[in-house]
Amino acid sequence: MTKNKKWIVLFLLPGILLFSFVFLGPIGVLFGTSFTNWSIGKEISFVGLKNFKYLFTEDQTFVDGLKNTIVWILLQATFHVLIGTTVAIVLAKKKWYSSAIRTIYFIPNVISSAALGMLFLCVMNPQYGLVNSFITKITGEGFTQNWFMDPKSAFFAVTMTWLPYAGLVTILVMAEMSSVSEDVYEAAKIDGASSFQTDIYVVLPLMKNIIGTSVVLAATSMLQKLDIIMMTTNGGPGSRTMNMPMYLYKTVFTNNNYGLANAQGVLLVILGLIVLKSIRKMFHMDAKE
Amino acid sequence: MFRIIRKVLTALLLTVIVVISIVPFAWVLFSSFKTNSEILSGTLGFPSGFHFSNYVTAFGLAPLVTFYKNSILIAIAGTVLNLIVCSMAAYVVVRCTFKLKGVVMLLFSMGLIIPGAALLQPLYTILNATHLYNTRTGLILVYTALGLPTTFYVMMSYIKTIPYTLEEAAYIDGSGFLRTFVQIVLPLTRPAFATAGVIQFLLCWNEFQLALTLTGETGKRTLPIALYYFKSAFASDYGAMFAATVVVVIPSIITFILLQKQVISGLAAGSVKG
Repeated sequence: MTKNKKWIVLFLLPGILLFSFVFLGPIGVLFGTSFTNWSIGKEISFVGLKNFKYLFTEDQTFVDGLKNTIVWILLQATFHVLIGTTVAIVLAKKKWYSSAIRTIYFIPNVISSAALGMLFLCVMNPQYGLVNSFITKITGEGFTQNWFMDPKSAFFAVTMTWLPYAGLVTILVMAEMSSVSEDVYEAAKIDGASSFQTDIYVVLPLMKNIIGTSVVLAATSMLQKLDIIMMTTNGGPGSRTMNMPMYLYKTVFTNNNYGLANAQGVLLVILGLIVLKSIRKMFHMDAKE
Repeated sequence: MFRIIRKVLTALLLTVIVVISIVPFAWVLFSSFKTNSEILSGTLGFPSGFHFSNYVTAFGLAPLVTFYKNSILIAIAGTVLNLIVCSMAAYVVVRCTFKLKGVVMLLFSMGLIIPGAALLQPLYTILNATHLYNTRTGLILVYTALGLPTTFYVMMSYIKTIPYTLEEAAYIDGSGFLRTFVQIVLPLTRPAFATAGVIQFLLCWNEFQLALTLTGETGKRTLPIALYYFKSAFASDYGAMFAATVVVVIPSIITFILLQKQVISGLAAGSVKG
């Protein structure tokens, strides 16, 4: 066993070193500097909770970003998961098209979100975009809605770039459904349940854990949405589509205010933990099997 | 009556999701072969012919070849390194007993809860301090670690299913720890390598925010950043924008379609621990 000890250390070391370099170190810097006044070319100084106080009381853009992020988390945790689960239940009735549709539906999830952002920027372009060309064609009148730049439609347009694309949820729920025993369906059938009733009252409750996981994934993905926003609206017009990652990015690279940016990073981590905890509680996921 | 309504609704739902998933891609693909005047007239139909000039323009405007090379290099290195590091750690955690095992597992799972965006500035500072800012090595190391929690978990659950008797026999025959790992365990873990590898490759290939913040010059950047160039600098050249999008998207789609089974099982396994 003593000989093994050497190997245990050697085998774990690369992973732990890398992890420390990319996660532990940065988390230390993040929390440490969130209490400081630190910007480019200036001496770093401790200011206590001043950054946090400033963000909530004086920084309207941050508050707008926080609100949008929370709204997006709620939309994603509900509608997005509902769409994905519904599609999974429909596709689980193995028809000839089921696996093809599953594959097609997942494609928007495997491409780079930067590319997805670019795709929507083109599709919703006011002059030559697909959406407006299509509306012009069927109504016969020129339609030039500037989806991403009009304050009335920007939030909706950005939301539409991720809300309906629930391919991941569909795949996860379908994988879980394939592990439901045939006996369960059989028993429900003998008891006289229609296939719709079986889905709603028998199968769906069995999916509780995977739906809970999907809600967690969908909700926390909203804490990372920087790429699509950067490619489409940059948080604008005004702060109509601002979210926390976008404002954090701007604070770092446009305003070079590192202390303030890291205070936002800390809040982002805390929000993530709150979201995770409350969803797990709601789905009773803390009880380990 | 109820059945008919349900059938209609089902068909409608499936039609909508297929349309929203395919039509934007198809439209961008077709448009990338159109001339600029065809694009501006907002025609919905097929291009009048295959004009490759948009692709030529796209490759001329941005150094797409360099981006491509960087993306391939970084994605492959980031995947290989990630698989080596994770398989070693996972093996030790599954097969050996040691005091800090719980701590190691907790540590790696922590990586899943931290939103990457929160670490933008700290990573930027640390990479600057270690002279890894604006280097491909820096990005490779960051990506290797980024996928660590998922790969570690996939590897761990797979190694658990391998019967210990094979390793035991090897030890009795006098094989050492390293040799047993390399010659007995690794070949058996191949399916897990495929699963975790595809997921990790896609992560490296698609990643945008860290690629943007941790590199500074064109020569070191990856493909998703190319699109950002087009958006900010050449937004008036629509045809080239379409072509660039196609060029970035195609490898991910092909990887997914060819290795669908691995992608799906990887996602299913990798997300459950969430």
